[in-house]
Amino acid sequence: MMPRTAALLVMHSDLANALLRAAEKVYGPVEGLEVLSNDGLSREDLENAIARRVEDWREGGLVLTDFWGGSCHICGVAAARGHGDVVVVTGINLPALLDYFHNRDEYGPLALAERLVRKGRDSIRLHHGQTA
Amino acid sequence: MSWVLQRVDDRLIHGQVLVAWGQRLHPRRIWVVDDATAANVWEKEILAGAAPETDVRVVTVAEMAAAWEAENEAAGGAFLLVRDLGTALALVEAGASVDRFNLGGLHYAPGKTKVNEYIYLDADDRRRARALLARGVSLEVQDVPGARAESLAALDPASAPA
Repeated sequence: MMPRTAALLVMHSDLANALLRAAEKVYGPVEGLEVLSNDGLSREDLENAIARRVEDWREGGLVLTDFWGGSCHICGVAAARGHGDVVVVTGINLPALLDYFHNRDEYGPLALAERLVRKGRDSIRLHHGQTA
Repeated sequence: MSWVLQRVDDRLIHGQVLVAWGQRLHPRRIWVVDDATAANVWEKEILAGAAPETDVRVVTVAEMAAAWEAENEAAGGAFLLVRDLGTALALVEAGASVDRFNLGGLHYAPGKTKVNEYIYLDADDRRRARALLARGVSLEVQDVPGARAESLAALDPASAPA
C-alpha cells in the first residue's frame, strides 16, 4: 500500500484554517493535514516554520499555498530546498483541497501535485446568467 | 524619477508588494538590495521566479548605490526593497539619494517592541531610524496602498531625533 502523501496548508491570515473547516463540511472529518498562517511572521520565521514540518516527511509531501509570489509560496519553495520529493503548489482552492483528501493515499507527491493543479484550474468555470 | 516605491520589508518580495503595490504602480524593475541574498544563487532564483513578469535585480548595497542615479533616470517605474533599517541606512550612507522609505513590514523578533501590527523595532532599529530622519529621509509606516501612511516618528517617538 502506498504511504499517504503528507501535506501542509500555508496561507495568508485565517484562510488555511477556514479552507480546512470548509473542506470538512463537505468531505467529513479529516486528520493529518497541518495548517499554518503567515500572520505576523518574518520571512525567516515563516520559512523555518515550514521547514520544521517538511523535515519530518520521510516520503516527501506537498506544501499547499494560496498564490504565486506570496510569502507562503516563496517560503515554501525556500523550505523545500534540498528536498526533491517536496512539491509546492500555489492557487489551492476548495475543489483542489477536496481532491487532495480523496487521493492522498493513491498518488505520490509529484503526481498528486499535478492532479491538484488540473483540478483547481478545471474547477474555475463561468456560468452565464440566462435571460428569462 | 523612476523610483515609485522604496520599501523596508523583511519579507522582501511577497504578496503585498506584488499584488497591492505592484498592480497599482506597475513597476518595470524590482531592485532587492541585500548583501546576503545577492551572494546566494538559490535565493536570487526564488525571488526572480516569484515575479516572472518583472525584471528582478538582486544586488548588494554597494552595487545599488553605484546604480542609483542611472536607475533614477531610466524609463518605467522601479521598486526598491530592503529587509531592514540597517540596510536602508547603509544604502543612504553609500550615496543613494533616497528621499523616503515606506516601512511595510518588520515583524516580531525577540528584543523588539511593537509599534503597530506589522512594525516591531529594537534599540538598533530606532537608532538607525533616527539617523535616517536626521539625514532628511522621510519614514512612513504603511503596509498597503489602501492604508493611511503614518509618520514613524509620530507613531513611535523613540524613533524621532532629539
